[in-house]
Formats: sequence, structure tokens, C-alpha cells
Amino acid sequence: MAVMRINVGPIHPSTHGVLRLVVDVDGDTIKNVEPHIGFLHRGVEKLCETRMYMQNPSYFEKLDYISPMSWDEIYVAAVEAAMGIEVKEAAQYARVILLEFQRIANHLLWIGTLCNDIGQLFTMFMWCFRERAQVLKLLEDVSGGRMFYVNMRLGGLNRPLPQDFADRAYALTDYIKEKITQYEEVLDSNEIFLERLRGVGRLSAADAVDFGVSGPVLRASGIEEDVRKSFPYYVYDKINFSIPTKADGDSYARYRVRYEEITESIRIIRQALENMPNTDVVGMPIKLIGPNAKPEPVVVRRELPKGEGLIYMVPDKQRPYRVSIRSPAFINLSVLPKLLEGAKFADIFAVFGSLDIIFGETDR
Amino acid sequence: MKQLEELKGKGFDYLKKITAVDYVEYLEVLYIIFNMSTKKEELVRVKLPAESPSIDSVMHVYSAADWYERELSEMFGIKILGREARRLLLEEWNGVDPPLRKSFVWGKDYKKME
Repeated sequence: MAVMRINVGPIHPSTHGVLRLVVDVDGDTIKNVEPHIGFLHRGVEKLCETRMYMQNPSYFEKLDYISPMSWDEIYVAAVEAAMGIEVKEAAQYARVILLEFQRIANHLLWIGTLCNDIGQLFTMFMWCFRERAQVLKLLEDVSGGRMFYVNMRLGGLNRPLPQDFADRAYALTDYIKEKITQYEEVLDSNEIFLERLRGVGRLSAADAVDFGVSGPVLRASGIEEDVRKSFPYYVYDKINFSIPTKADGDSYARYRVRYEEITESIRIIRQALENMPNTDVVGMPIKLIGPNAKPEPVVVRRELPKGEGLIYMVPDKQRPYRVSIRSPAFINLSVLPKLLEGAKFADIFAVFGSLDIIFGETDR
Repeated sequence: MKQLEELKGKGFDYLKKITAVDYVEYLEVLYIIFNMSTKKEELVRVKLPAESPSIDSVMHVYSAADWYERELSEMFGIKILGREARRLLLEEWNGVDPPLRKSFVWGKDYKKME
């Protein structure tokens, strides 16, 4: 049969944003996929060069609008590294707790949308949103923003934690732990869910390293790599947690890795809450930063919910001279043609959905 | 690029990022590579002239270089030798100045230049 070229997107409910795929199919089998991105390009890296240091965090939050606090934190951490600012001890614990809650919120939304993509419409989606809303409520009470927090300040957070923060965080981890057990019961015994994901979009360990994927996608291919272990930041080296890995490398393995990461995040949050000193967490007020900036470039790495984020920043006096962003979603998306070689047309979104791509971040 | 091939032989099998900085007098291309087994990171810096810069492709060393090189070529105007680097993010854009170079002028109407 002749090869037919089909255009998917750029506006499509399953692309979670704006992605155009040009797909060559022979019957129902995919011969080639060509992703086209850039529809959401805002020139964030260029914009950063024109703004003062602390005007930039809100641009970074819009990179990944599902987990804004992670990007807020990585940028502020880059500025801190450039200026040589120490983060207060209590604030280090608070940041770890907030980042892990952000990771849970991200993975919950991802499970919900994955189920939508593979045809289990809206039940899991609404369940996950119910739990995610509780996490967002806590983050809102901490930061003041429901979706975009701009919560990080140099050396700490923007305001003190609420009085009952520890109790509420404990209660929330209990609540999520109970609920995700129900997810497991519903999903992992569901024939359709397993059939759609098992053995689909397989990525071998060698390919995963060669193509530079990171985060849960890399760990689902059996590579044990986590920035929280290999370049520990804040108090992660004092906390006891493990890195979930799966050897299969298929879409189902990516689901299991993310599911187990939620459990690990809960472990991290509880340990951090136990050890958190009851001292001040508030950082410096936003102000102009003078000539005490070091001229050397800094590299800051973080384990974001979607993979490894990295900022290479060349500082200057008032503004960054250059900010370069390694977006985990960008490079995880570049492996999509490889994953879809020889797959069926209907698997496109079962595979694409399992990668957890966000277009604010790929296009920047 | 020989340096990268040698480092890959030493176990630096993971390419994290290719990026560039425009220092006006010259361009600096930066490769951040990582060793998966020893968890060590290495930064490889390459200086390029500001006028008509070009660099060898490293796609045969790391497949991850594909999209990074395409981005490098459209954002910095660096010619990638040994492969066809099609535009990635700015497919429809007509401007002549690469956007992340310091010579790019804010507010200039690039559309009318065509």
C-alpha cells in the first residue's frame, strides 16, 4: 500500500498544547513521524537578558505551567549561586517540601491526562484533579497564588509559612497516600489500561542514554539516575529515599515510575517535616542587585517533575548576560519519532502522553 | 569534536545540553556531557569567531545533539557542518539576525525586511 501523509495538530485535544505531527503511515503502521514545535515560542531566554534578576522568575513559571514552582526555584537557585547567597536552613527544608508537593501535583495531573489520552475518559481525570486541588490549595496558602506562585526569594521564601503548615502537610500526605492506593486498584487491574500501555513505545536503556532523555522516562528504561542523588541540593542528602526504576522502558513502565515517585515524594515530605527547624524562612526582599555579582558562569541542575532541568547562567551586573535553559520536555519530545517507529497510528497519543511533555517548556 | 569522541570513549555517554553564549568578540559553544556510571559531569567549551561561525556536527557521537544543533543554528546563526540543520522553533520567521545574538535589535520590524 502507498504511504500516506497525515497531519495531526497543531490544535488537538491530546497534544496538551500546540504540537504538529506529520505522520507517514502505511495502512495503520507508522513509517515516520516528524514533530513540529515552536508555536508557543516566546523568546524567554532573550527576554531574561533585558530584565533585572528578580523580574524573571515569573517568566520561568510560565515555562511549565503544571509545575511552576520547580522552575521558579531553579531560576532563583541560579541567581543565588551567581551571587553567593546561602539559603536559610529552615527555608531549605521548606523548599524541599514545596517542590515535592509540586512533583505530586504534576504526576497526579499526568496520570489523569494519560487516562484521557488512552480513552478512559474523565473518571481518572476528575479523581486526579480532586487530589491535585488539595495540593494546590496548600501551595496557595503558602505562596498567595493558586497557579503561579512566584514564591521564591533570594535566600528563602516570600513570606512565613502558615501557622498550621506542618499539620496540614501531614494530613495531606495521608490523604494522597490513601487515594493513590485506590488509583492502583482501579488502573493496574484494568485490562484496557494495561493493553494500551504494555509493550507500547519501548525505549531501550542504550537508546535512552544516547538520545539524552531524562527524568521518569530515563528511569523507566532501567537507568538509575536522579539529580537529587547525583548532585544533591538543599537537604536531599540528609533524607532517606530511593529512586524507582523499571527495566521495561514501555509506556506502562513510565506510568509505574511516576506512580512510585508520588510515594517517594510523600516519604521525603514526611522526613523533611520532622527535621524542619522552627526558624525564619523569609528571604531577601526584591531589590536591585549591585556589582557584587560574580562574573563566572554558573550551572544549576535540578530534578524537575518532568526530568532534569539545567540552567547555565552568565551573570552580569544588573541583568543576566545570558540564561540558557535545558528543558527536559524538549529533549524527551525529540525521542518521539524513535518511539513510534513501526507502531500503530492509535498508539501515537498513548506514547506521546506517557512522555509528559509541556509546550511552554519545549518552545520557551 | 575529537575531544568529545575521546570523552565518550572514557564513558561520558550522555549529552545534557549544547548551548552557546555570544560574547560579541567571539562565540562560545558549550557541551555539557555526563558519565552515567561515575555520575561525573564535564563541560567542553569551544570558541568560534563572531563572523560566519561554523562547527562540526556531533550527531554521530550523541543522537541527543539533533535538536540542540538545530536550535543552535537558528538562534545563533552557527553553521552546522556535516548535516542539514533545519529550523526547529522559528520555522516561519523571516528575520536575518539570529535572535540570541547580541546584534539582534529589539523592536526592529524584521517582517518588512523581506
